Formats: sequence, C-alpha cells, structure tokens
Amino acid sequence: MSIPKLELVSLVKEYNDGAVVAVDGIDLSVAPGETIALLGPSGCGKSTTLNMVVGLEEPTSGDIHIDGLSIVNIPPGKRNVGLVFQDYAVFPSMTVRQNLAFGLVVRKKGREEIARAVDEVAELLGMVGRLDVRARDLGGSEMQRVAIGRTLVTKPAVLLLDEPLSNLEAAARLAMRRELRRLQSEIGLTIIYVTHDQIEALSLADRIAVMHAGKILQVEKTSLICERPDHVYVAGFLGSPPMNLLAGEIRPGVAGAAGPAFTHGPLTLALPAGCALEKGSYTLGLRPESLRLAPESEAPLAGTVSLVEFRGGDVVVTVDVASVKLDVILPATERPAMGQSVGVDFDPESLVFFGGDTSRRLDASPMGRPL
Amino acid sequence: MASPPGPTHPADAPGLSPAAPHGGGKPPRAKGGNIGLALTLPGQIVSILVLVIPLLVALYMSFTDWSPTRGSLFDAEFVGFENYSELLIWDTRFLYAVLRTLCISAVCLALEFAFGLSLAVLFMRRFRGKSLLFSAFLTPMMILPVVVGYIFWMLFQSSGPVNQILEFVLGPDVALEWFRSAPLAVTAVIITEVWHWTPLFFLILLSGLNSVPENPVRAAVILGANPRQVFWRVVMPTLKPVIIVAFVIRTMEIIKLFDEVFMLTRGGPGSATETISLYIYKLAFNDFQLAYGAAAAFLVLLGALGLIHLLLLPVRNQLLEVKR
Repeated sequence: MSIPKLELVSLVKEYNDGAVVAVDGIDLSVAPGETIALLGPSGCGKSTTLNMVVGLEEPTSGDIHIDGLSIVNIPPGKRNVGLVFQDYAVFPSMTVRQNLAFGLVVRKKGREEIARAVDEVAELLGMVGRLDVRARDLGGSEMQRVAIGRTLVTKPAVLLLDEPLSNLEAAARLAMRRELRRLQSEIGLTIIYVTHDQIEALSLADRIAVMHAGKILQVEKTSLICERPDHVYVAGFLGSPPMNLLAGEIRPGVAGAAGPAFTHGPLTLALPAGCALEKGSYTLGLRPESLRLAPESEAPLAGTVSLVEFRGGDVVVTVDVASVKLDVILPATERPAMGQSVGVDFDPESLVFFGGDTSRRLDASPMGRPL
Repeated sequence: MASPPGPTHPADAPGLSPAAPHGGGKPPRAKGGNIGLALTLPGQIVSILVLVIPLLVALYMSFTDWSPTRGSLFDAEFVGFENYSELLIWDTRFLYAVLRTLCISAVCLALEFAFGLSLAVLFMRRFRGKSLLFSAFLTPMMILPVVVGYIFWMLFQSSGPVNQILEFVLGPDVALEWFRSAPLAVTAVIITEVWHWTPLFFLILLSGLNSVPENPVRAAVILGANPRQVFWRVVMPTLKPVIIVAFVIRTMEIIKLFDEVFMLTRGGPGSATETISLYIYKLAFNDFQLAYGAAAAFLVLLGALGLIHLLLLPVRNQLLEVKR
C-alpha cells in the first residue's frame, strides 16, 4: 500500500452560528510519510482540526482530501484515519488483546487474520507478554501503546496523535517519544501530531505548523523554523528563551543619531548606515543566541544584569536595558555577575524586523540584502 | 531504539494503580477516637434500642412456639430448630410463596431494566419536552406503594378504566376479571410493580450513561464500530457496576413485595399472588403464629443476603477498589 497524502483546504469550523470561530480557514498539505506537528497553545483550534480530519466534527466549510479524494462525507469509521487520544481512551474492561483486536472485530474480520494482526502489532509495541492483562490495570505508557496499537491494527492511511505524551510522567514521556520516532521510521506513516510542547514538536516532526487563534501562521521545516520565524507570534512562541521582541518605530535622526533609529519606549537603537527600511512601526526581533556582551563603551545598548539562569552548558542572562528585559544566551564560562553593568552587542545582519501592522517578517535584512 | 516492554515505571499512572496508598486496608485510626464515640453514641443507643434488641428478641422468638394468646414470650417453650425444619421441609405454602416471589421478581426486574434502559438511552438524545417528560417519568417512584396499589386496584376493576380501554380497542365482549383469575392477578401485580419502579432503573441508568467517558466511545466510532457495537461493546461494560447496583437495590425491595399486592389482591385468588411478605404477615397477624413467622422472616433474610452477595460477586472488586 502506498503511503497517502493528506490535504486540508480552507478548512473552517464555526460554533454557535459563527459566533465562535475555532478553525479559521487553514490550508495544510501533508506529504506521504511525513510527520507534521500542529503546535500551538491550548484553545488555538488544533484539536478541532484533528476532530474534523478524523470525522468527529463536520467542517463548516472547506475540504479534506486523502490522495486527492474528499473524505468529508465519509463516516469516521470508514475514513481510514486513526486517532490516538491524549487520555488514551482504552477500553478499560477489555484485555490488551481485545483492545488491539477491536477495530478488526467490529469489521467482522476472520479469526486468524485478527490473531495475526494483533500479534504483529503487539510485537511492534513490545506488548507480547501483556496481552491478557486488563487495560484498566495498565500503567500510563502501556495504555499509550495499546491506544496506538489499537489504531495501527486497522492500518490507517493517516495517523493523528492528539497530545499523546501530555499525560505521561517525565521519564516515560522521553521513552515514549523515542518509541514514536522508531515507529515512524519502521512503518512510514503519514502523521499529524498535535502538541503544545515545542520540544515534542521539534523532536518528532519533519515540519511544524504553528497555530494561533484558529489560523496556521507558519509551516516550516523543523530544522529551519526556529531560525526563520515568519510571524511575530511564531518568533515569540518558539525557542527557549524565545526571540526578544520589541514593538516600536523607525524614525529618521532621533536623539542625535545620524541615520534612522529604532525606538522602543525609552530605548533607542541607531540603525547602521545604509539601512533600507522606511520609517514606520515595526517589531524588532533579537535572537538571544545572536546577542553578546561587550564593554559598555563599545556596545550600542547598555544595561545591568538582573538574572542569570544556568542551563548546563550555557546560561541565559537577562539584561535590563532602560527597563526593557533582553535575554542573552552565553557560554557558561562567559557568565557575568548579577548587577554588573554590561553592554549588549550584535551583528546588524542578525536583526529581524516584523511589519508593525502585518506582524509578518520583512523579506529583507535591514541592510537591504535579501535573506 | 526499542524501549523496554513489560511493567512501566511505578509513578507512571496517576490514579490508576490498584494499590491504595495505605495498602487498601482500614484507614489509620485517628487520635481522639473517644470524641468519635461520644458523637455517635446517641445514634448507636437508638439503633441498639430499635434495631438490635428487637432483632435479637425476634431471633429468640423464632426458636420458641410463642403466640400472643399464650402469655409472655419468656414463658414460651423453647423448641430449637423445629420452626425452621417445619418451614423448610413440610410447609409447601412457604415454599410456593418463595418461588412465586422469585418468579414475580425476576419478571418485574427484567421488564423494569429493559424499560428503564430504553428510556435512559432515549433521554441521552435531545428532543422536545424532555425535561417535562423527565419529571413525569420519575413521579411513580415517589408515590407511596400503598397508594400505587390502591390506584391500580381501581384501574383494574371489572368496570374500571383498563377494561373500558380494552373493550374500546378489542370489542364489547372483552371484560377481564383481573382479580378472579390467577394469571391475570399475577399480571396485574407485575404491571403495577413495573409501573411503580421502572423510574428507579431509568434514573440510575441515565446517570450511569451520563458518566460513561466520551473518548472511548469516540475511539470505538473511529475504529469503525457501528452504534450497536459501540453500545454493547463499549458503553454496556462500563455501565456494568451501575447496572448491578440498580439490581441489588431493586432486589432488596422486591423481595419484600407487600403493599401493592396487599391492596390489589391480598394474595388471591387462592394464593396465586401470595408473596413471602404477605404469607409472613398472614402467619403473624391472621393466625397469630408469631414465632413461626419470625423463623420464616429470618430464613428470608438469610436468602436475601445470599442472593445479594451473589449479585455483587462479579463487580465486588471493582466497587471496592480504592482510587488515589
């Protein structure tokens, strides 16, 4: 069986006759065998999207295609789409075996076929020795395996995972994350993975779609999304700590600066000569990784260190620059003392500007060079 | 990398471990147990006076041949297990009363369950007038059994509403003498009882259905189950403890079936509707065989205890499980 492709086309879901718009016209194309993460805070519409794909909810408008064919009018059990719930939703009074067999039993498959499929999945998930245990007696990550296995037995074209790791305790979560990675590579499924946890999204997905208020703000390769956030919201959501974002304006010649300068409240930053940006309102993004400390006299910004957080190999230093807090990531060896006066310097090429009205990233760097 | 199969981390499943924090045993006795004793003492004294003492007196009575016409209980002759052996070996009327009660109970409970479950499933949907119907369906349960018996006694009169409706539907020759034929009298008793107590099943099963978790049901739908399969394979197993508790409550009550039968038929015609309670009542208050009646009552108590124990057996562990 070839791996299918899933497409969401201008998908909309409204409640209460349009008073609440849970999903606001999203377009998403998931390539065969790809894992895509829908990442966003709770209430952003990601679970509603999954429910529409699986058929538990009907879209208000828009379409869902699997291999080019619309599945919107197909009932949930016949779409060949599997969903794993956050709370696993195993059938508690059934044994593991009965849980795994459920999808085939209700389809009235032959006894041998069911036994073979169950054994195969049990093998894959390492549950062979636990087949006759009642599901209610299982631990959390075992329930998770049963929930995934129960879906895999039906050979779904697309697998949807709704926050599958959120109910697990930290150690089990790490193990299960690896397990999911292994399954992905062994069976090559098309997967949509819903999560609010960026670490999960970054470690499991090929591409990440960041959702906010019912819209997909950006879809980007996992390896690139932290580097190239397209939208202010994405920039402020991804990364740990996320990009420093300053909403302000560019005006010509403020406070004695020769060329144009960016102002954010009391903070003024002279832009390098040759800056191609028009005057107007912008949001300036400063990546914590691209900032560095420098002697006060030589740096464009100066402030005092108000917080130093250790993170193993590096530290996150919070510098108060004229009441604005900037996060800077430094190697642990270069950490400053608390309360120390420092300068903050950066490479002009690393500045990222977002349009003040569109919140979208500008295509060019401030120096006018295309990125 | 394959993560290890088998038992998972102990801290893995909050709220799902079968073991209670203190081993599932009795909670540790709090200090200041004397205050607890003092606070419950009035209640305990009352319950000793009105429950324990009469029960012990009745138990003693069941081993004598006492009758209120023959002086004090404590002067009566102690006869050992004579009353019990008489009841169990020779008293066919007692035996039939027991069998009759069990048969009527079985039919009533089956019907009450079927109707109650159907209504509950119906009430899981939206429809017009639902809240009005809800109150209406619960009303019978709140009427005193004696009153229910009286109402149905009137309904089943030979020129009463039931017969009038039957005549209207089936023709003028249909006039049933409900209380003069054994099968009809039993039917009348069953109809009355089912009308009276279906609401209890309905209420318990409705609350049970409402507490069935949503996601397993949705998971079953996604896995391809049709509505019938979802109901029987996923919903009903979840409801099992609730169903059994409903049966236990109703079994305890229906074994004592008395008021309605007393008002409808007084056990007649002949002894066609004579339930155990009615028989014991007649023994005690018509024949003044109080000691013999007490013995019969104790046998019924033992039987009922055994029956309820059996009913609870399949869900005992599930009900007693302590969840963190």
